[in-house]
Amino acid sequence: MNQTTVADSSPAIPAAFEFEEASDGIECYRLTDNDLRVLLLPQEGAPVATSMVTYHVGSRNERTGHTGATHMLEHLMFKGTERYHKRKGTSIFETLQRVGAKVNASTWLDRTNYYEMLPTEHLPLALDIEADRMRGALLDPRDVESERTVILNERDRNQNDPVSRLFDEVWAAAFTAHPYHHPTIGWKSDIESITADGLREYYDTFYWPNNATVSIVGHFDRTDVLNEVADHFGAHDAAPHDIPQVTTEEPEQTGQRRVTVKQDGQLGAVLMSYKSPPAVEPDSDALDVLARILASGKGSRLFQRCTDQGLTSDVFGMNFRLRDPGLFSIFAYLAPETDHETVESALNEEIQTIRDEGVTQEELDRARSQLRAQIAFDRDGPMKVASQLNEALAAGDWKLYTQYLDRLEEVTVDDIQRVAQTYLTDETSTVGWYVPSED
Amino acid sequence: MSNSSPNLASQIHDREAGPGRLLTLQTSVDDIVSWRGSFLAYPDLAADDDLRQKLTVSLLDKGTEQRDRFELARVLEDCGAKLNLSSDGLYVDISGRALTDDLPRVMDVLSEMLQSPSFEEEEFEKARAQALANVQRRMEKTSAQASSALTRRLFGEGHPNYSDALEAVLQKLQQLTLDDIRQYHAAHFGATEWTLAVVGDLEHDMVESVVADTFAGWAPHDADPSHETEGKEEAEPGRSVVPMPDKSNVDVRMGHAVSLRRDHDDYPALYVGNYILGGDFAARLMNTVRDEKGLTYHISSGLSGVSTRYAGYWQTSVTLSHDALEEGIETTTEVIRQFVEEGATEEELESKKTTITGSYAVGLATTRRLAQSILTNAERGFDLEYLDRFPEEIEGLTLDDVNEAVRTHLRPDAMHEALAGVAPEPVDA
Repeated sequence: MNQTTVADSSPAIPAAFEFEEASDGIECYRLTDNDLRVLLLPQEGAPVATSMVTYHVGSRNERTGHTGATHMLEHLMFKGTERYHKRKGTSIFETLQRVGAKVNASTWLDRTNYYEMLPTEHLPLALDIEADRMRGALLDPRDVESERTVILNERDRNQNDPVSRLFDEVWAAAFTAHPYHHPTIGWKSDIESITADGLREYYDTFYWPNNATVSIVGHFDRTDVLNEVADHFGAHDAAPHDIPQVTTEEPEQTGQRRVTVKQDGQLGAVLMSYKSPPAVEPDSDALDVLARILASGKGSRLFQRCTDQGLTSDVFGMNFRLRDPGLFSIFAYLAPETDHETVESALNEEIQTIRDEGVTQEELDRARSQLRAQIAFDRDGPMKVASQLNEALAAGDWKLYTQYLDRLEEVTVDDIQRVAQTYLTDETSTVGWYVPSED
Repeated sequence: MSNSSPNLASQIHDREAGPGRLLTLQTSVDDIVSWRGSFLAYPDLAADDDLRQKLTVSLLDKGTEQRDRFELARVLEDCGAKLNLSSDGLYVDISGRALTDDLPRVMDVLSEMLQSPSFEEEEFEKARAQALANVQRRMEKTSAQASSALTRRLFGEGHPNYSDALEAVLQKLQQLTLDDIRQYHAAHFGATEWTLAVVGDLEHDMVESVVADTFAGWAPHDADPSHETEGKEEAEPGRSVVPMPDKSNVDVRMGHAVSLRRDHDDYPALYVGNYILGGDFAARLMNTVRDEKGLTYHISSGLSGVSTRYAGYWQTSVTLSHDALEEGIETTTEVIRQFVEEGATEEELESKKTTITGSYAVGLATTRRLAQSILTNAERGFDLEYLDRFPEEIEGLTLDDVNEAVRTHLRPDAMHEALAGVAPEPVDA
């Protein structure tokens, strides 16, 4: 759709923008001078809004020696710019908290996001701060040193948790070439050695308007908000270079891989993971439903086969929908007095049953009802909407958010049996055991 | 009406439905509703009814006369709904969410749980074991021990803000029987001031008919209020110490009972005054004790347990290292003393007005939070317009209002102290 057409239907759209498309109430614009993408979802209701900047950079973009850079940069982004800085009494966090805002940020494999939920009248403040730190973060070497300590502590806490460690090791074994191999927080030696200059280089590579999406959800005037976005973010040029893309593809896996984590603790655990398709593939929808059928609630197959029979104390099914092929996982906490072999066999048998016999229409309907409810709850308030939209952006298509319900409707019992046969195979699996050590 | 008013009162439908009060609000969200509800149980707190109430509530979803615990769970899981019940002092609270179409069946489950729980021995033993484990975990926490110890200095056993020593709770839990629970349920569960707030994508009449039908015939109970309403008679301020081995920090609570209730004219001014002193990261206590002196990672102050039914208390919470313990307490006391004597500044007041009204607006952005605000407002006996008036009330406060309320109600010389995490004294052989 071109600008003229939109201008006809929405005459108030500022000239700095080009309208690109709309889906289920969400409008997508492009700031033509620097290619910043803007998503707007105007809503009725309380005079509040969520402003979020999603940078299309995550730990998948890190190279060996610099793992953890994305996450460390996220921490440093709160340390300030020339205008927003603690020494001036205008620290980013306190400036936003002063107007009643909720503020946070997060880093994951495919993206980094920064968000503020605040009264609409203060939306310009949030946009000013986000635009300012998009290109003006100070990345002071003293701040890098203090945050290094904080992040090493954060990593130590993760490592103290055997389950967190088990997940890291399974992903590291499942991906040998693709950067999903390394944990988002980074390897310890990389966190210890990364420099302020290294972070600056990373920032200057990825933090540009044409590698970001600004999403605004809530009660606001479209024209006012677009003008504010243009005023603040329009000050930046697009990156003077091409944003580097990840080109590494994970080679085909042709046999089961196994890892064991031994660490102090009480109950053992089994994590079974299978290579899964990219998030945008329709098969990912069928795998979402399959995860529910396997392990969501007391009516699920694995609850009845394992937890209700005293083999496990809890079982979870997870389909990690990512931009590149990811993992479909089943995680089980062992009940006391059971062993890993027994639980792994039981999980395998249930998967084999679904591969052989499929699932019932009733199971599909129940799983779909649960997902439908979850999707509806996840739209309760601007913050939740932004958070879901963020994951769709990370996966590579923001319309995954708006089209998800329709996509689920397409899933059939045959699809579920087919994806179980296609993806849940021994050859493409990585099995991890957490074995509590004796002392 | 001010710009910051959420403009809710005119949109809320308020009426009797069955044996209780029903408040409904339609919002722009699609397909879902959230609810919050409560009734007054009137536990005899001096006779340890709070433990009976907690254990009773924990058994409500473990089976009814009509369905066992799996069937109850299955109804909720099949439609992706959530339903929670909890005990909160004089009240039993319920909360949850569902697709709007599933509201009738979820209300049906709730009604069964409240009116006809099966109270089986096996489930009772499991629930008690769980409760004991929870208390044991709390015993390891310096924050829980310090908070609990302060309330025992300020309130008598019959006051809703009194919290029993955790060691005593363990003993009392072990003495409870299933018959105690059955009797407590029979005497204290009923539609006494039963109030339900439902918010979301709803038709007011549909919700009314569901709630009226589902809870028809649920009668109020006969228990009367027996709780104390005021703090202890003025006792000399003093210090309680809970020694705990191997703790790297000491949790400190300092405070005193306040005589005002939530509907007192001074409450808004005192609320803002306290916010300036210790309400957030930019408050005086954080600025001084943390940022300037480096004595703690976090310090805050707040009004706690203030209701329209009983008086509450004002407390400051700070975590200190063993080395900085006395210095930290002294510095904190000095900041408080100076604040009460000299008062807040105009700049501080204006800044906190923006923070409080902004947070209030942000806090009303989900159906869950709206339902909670509407219910709390109703429990306080406030008119619906108060939900809209609150920001104006805050914005209208003057510096004199705030400083006068602080001087009247906060008394640095009357602060009691409770410390948990101090190393135990060595025992001589």
